[in-house]
Amino acid sequence: MDVKLKDKYDVIVIGGGITGAGTARDCAMRGLSVLLIERFDFAHGATGRNHGLLHSGARYAVTDQESATECIQENTILRKIAAHCVEPTDGLFITLPDDDLAYQSTFVESCKRAGIRADIIDPEQAKILEPSVNPTLIGAVRVPDASVDPFRLTVANVTDARLHGADTVTYHEVTDLIIDQNRVVGVKMRDQRTGEIRQAYASLTINAAGIWGMLVAKKAGITVNMFPAKGALLIFGHRVNNMVINRCRKPANADILVPDDAVCVIGTTSDRVPIEQCDDMRVTDEEVKVLLQEGARLAPALASTRILRAYAGVRPLVASDNDPSGRSISRGIVVLDHATRDGMEGFVTITGGKMMTYRLMAEMVTDLACKKLNVSKSCATATTPLPGSEAKTAPEAMRTYSFAQKSADGRHGTYTKDIHTPDSLHSALVCECEGVSVAEVDYAVAHQNVTNLIDLRRRTRMGMGTCQGHLCSCRAAGELCQGNHAQEAAEDLASFVNERWKGIKPVAWGAALCEAQLTATVYEGMCGLNQFVKEGGEK
Amino acid sequence: MKFNTIIIGGGLSGLTAGLALQKAGQRVAIVSKGQSTLHFNPASFDLLGYDATGAAVEHPLQAIAALPATHPYSKCTNVEALAQEAQALLEESGISLIGTAAANHYRITPMGVLKPAWLTLADYATTEQGTALPWKKVALINAIGCLDFPTKFIAAGLRKAGTEVDVKAFTLPELEKQRQSPSEMRATNIAKVLSTANVVARMAQAINAQIAGTTYDAVLLPGVLQNPDLVAQLKSQVSTPVHFIATLPPSAAGVHVQTLLRQRFIAAGGVHLTGDKVVGGTIESGILKSVTTENLIDTRLEANHFILATGSFMSGGMDSNYESVFETVFGLDVDALQVPSERVKFNVFEAQPYMEFGVSTNEKLQVKKDGQEISNCYAVGSVLSGANRVKQSCGTGISMLTALQVVKHILNK
Repeated sequence: MDVKLKDKYDVIVIGGGITGAGTARDCAMRGLSVLLIERFDFAHGATGRNHGLLHSGARYAVTDQESATECIQENTILRKIAAHCVEPTDGLFITLPDDDLAYQSTFVESCKRAGIRADIIDPEQAKILEPSVNPTLIGAVRVPDASVDPFRLTVANVTDARLHGADTVTYHEVTDLIIDQNRVVGVKMRDQRTGEIRQAYASLTINAAGIWGMLVAKKAGITVNMFPAKGALLIFGHRVNNMVINRCRKPANADILVPDDAVCVIGTTSDRVPIEQCDDMRVTDEEVKVLLQEGARLAPALASTRILRAYAGVRPLVASDNDPSGRSISRGIVVLDHATRDGMEGFVTITGGKMMTYRLMAEMVTDLACKKLNVSKSCATATTPLPGSEAKTAPEAMRTYSFAQKSADGRHGTYTKDIHTPDSLHSALVCECEGVSVAEVDYAVAHQNVTNLIDLRRRTRMGMGTCQGHLCSCRAAGELCQGNHAQEAAEDLASFVNERWKGIKPVAWGAALCEAQLTATVYEGMCGLNQFVKEGGEK
Repeated sequence: MKFNTIIIGGGLSGLTAGLALQKAGQRVAIVSKGQSTLHFNPASFDLLGYDATGAAVEHPLQAIAALPATHPYSKCTNVEALAQEAQALLEESGISLIGTAAANHYRITPMGVLKPAWLTLADYATTEQGTALPWKKVALINAIGCLDFPTKFIAAGLRKAGTEVDVKAFTLPELEKQRQSPSEMRATNIAKVLSTANVVARMAQAINAQIAGTTYDAVLLPGVLQNPDLVAQLKSQVSTPVHFIATLPPSAAGVHVQTLLRQRFIAAGGVHLTGDKVVGGTIESGILKSVTTENLIDTRLEANHFILATGSFMSGGMDSNYESVFETVFGLDVDALQVPSERVKFNVFEAQPYMEFGVSTNEKLQVKKDGQEISNCYAVGSVLSGANRVKQSCGTGISMLTALQVVKHILNK
């Protein structure tokens, strides 16, 4: 999708994670002209590498009331405006025999103070509500946790920003800020695929680049002390639990198990890492071991469930002290006006916070932007549904109740109506694990900035199922392949197979290794895909 | 139940051993889960396609002679003779082949790549050289809706080799009907539809209509026909020479090969326990006395000799967990790295250490458990350690040749 840039924008937003996408949406809804720039694909960074947990705020209630209050408010809002991205599962905070049961009352009291519903339930009832839960539990509290799809949520925000006139570019890295006498007036960006350098100008540049925001600020000579805290997670091959399961104790490693779509995710760990490592996170044997051990304490069935993949994200925390674990740092939102802070006009940074509070972060930074640009329109993102969530489900007439249709419904909400299956060719399944049809692939390519198989995976879940792409990715590559670009499409397929492997590698035993060997046998042995490996690798 | 030999695993190596033992008059049983790696076979067999540097091998027999002692081929006493025997065995089972052990030819993969091969099913497209094709201009014709035959990639590969390609597609009412179900367009499902003389006659008409008015040297089709009589019929009814190219799995050709070998084994009086699985055995002073299976819980299956032909990880012969890598049926001694992060490499296309893991055997391919040899139990095929079958393109050759080698050891006893 080639975007013709305007001569000048009101606002440039750097970063296509959930914060940047939400900010672009809010700015566009208030009538500002917006350019959103993403270095790789939307949700490439921490947004796409977390639990997919719609926090109730309970986790923070004891240690951080402010975050807890923000969470429950945003939780309530997102259930309404992003209904098609949220699955209202509810959550349990369980106390195990080696936990202190006295903590439960402190926990419940703190939740109530933050406005979070927290009902103590009988452990026996907890086992009926959530049969996978560790049966030795001695206490349980039910809270309004839920699961949320971060890819969908990000794309819905981007889509709405565009509907309100915003321009968006992916695979463009900001290489420089253009500075004119203590004012940021624009950015230089490099097209990652062609190497071409483009420039864009705006009255205000908003740095919403997550942990990489500290590097963006540095380009203006500004220091933002960030705290890159790596969190590793494991995805299991099916959905063991139907409610979020947490440990009722002070936040620690691997104490949240979230049901997401057809799988479940255990996490996280928390370790400080150097900023240089943030582009190439690797999950270690030790992290996998901790996640498995602790995970099986929440739901014993995890010990014998196939692990699909391991992955890690980096929390963009703002450093406030020398805590080596990063757990006691506030997850609070940080808005930095570099004009008042550093004497640099036309430049603000939005950071800290959590995926949960992205909308509030966007609102805060957009308020600041409007103030600077003398725009008086107030924020409407808390009450305006995102595209796909305008109605509860797709119009009845559109529903054919096929597997693919139902799956697409879940992914695109009301926008499923735009996925046309005029004939059996278009309803043919590309990905059988996740129910992705040819028509849905075509839709994602036409409307959702899909340029390669990894982008397509984020939009449709293609290749995220039990086979991890061993049949579907070649079919999808054939669909994506346009004109004379078979060589590029084959190279893309090779890098997709490699990207899938990188998540499998840390957990390559049992069924995961069997599947990986089969994939290698098919793609390298049978097809010779290794002959399309591009030198220099991929991100 | 008592047999001369019981074979655990009904894939290419198990069936090869079974057929060869039957020829020598043995009473043989095969215990098979049903599916095998043949379902992923690209209509070709390979002896050795690539050397240790990744270069394509022209003369496999010479390259095999240079392999290390740990390689399964190094436990075969006369590779050339075994290769001839293997080829004869396939041909006797009704599989027409082209190729020879003396020199590799090239097959065309579903990604349009040319890969070295030893034997290829005669109806499939091949070329003598790795860089050029025997046709100036071809029609590449898919069945509409068959996503497992990526014509864009195949066409690009053919063009790269200097051949002019027109990409076309045909359909039939029977395929239209099949396509109503969104996941029914796999090669083996299509093969079930294209299974009568009547349908194939109309397929030929549809293909002739696609190529009418242009002169092509060949028509290239996805490998979706199994019955040799129907293939012959199609060839006689299409006005231009027809060749097939393998699809993505499941492979109609591979399934057909397995069916032919199994039918022949059963026709010759072999006992084929399909859909069953060996769950354990009785070992007494270095001798495997009997095995039990999942379905025949109360029956001891006894034999003088046993052959383990259970395949690698993907076939279930090997498995692993965080702590260890192990053989699944008897817990035999294996050659493997036990630390999880040492078993794998970061990039998927690097030579992965786990690919070479497998059962440890002596020079006669006899296995051991807890350091003690089991003298009447042999391992063959992909369960053996010491070869990266994907990197070297040697999986089917190892399967057949080690099976035939073990048959000789058993018969010489």
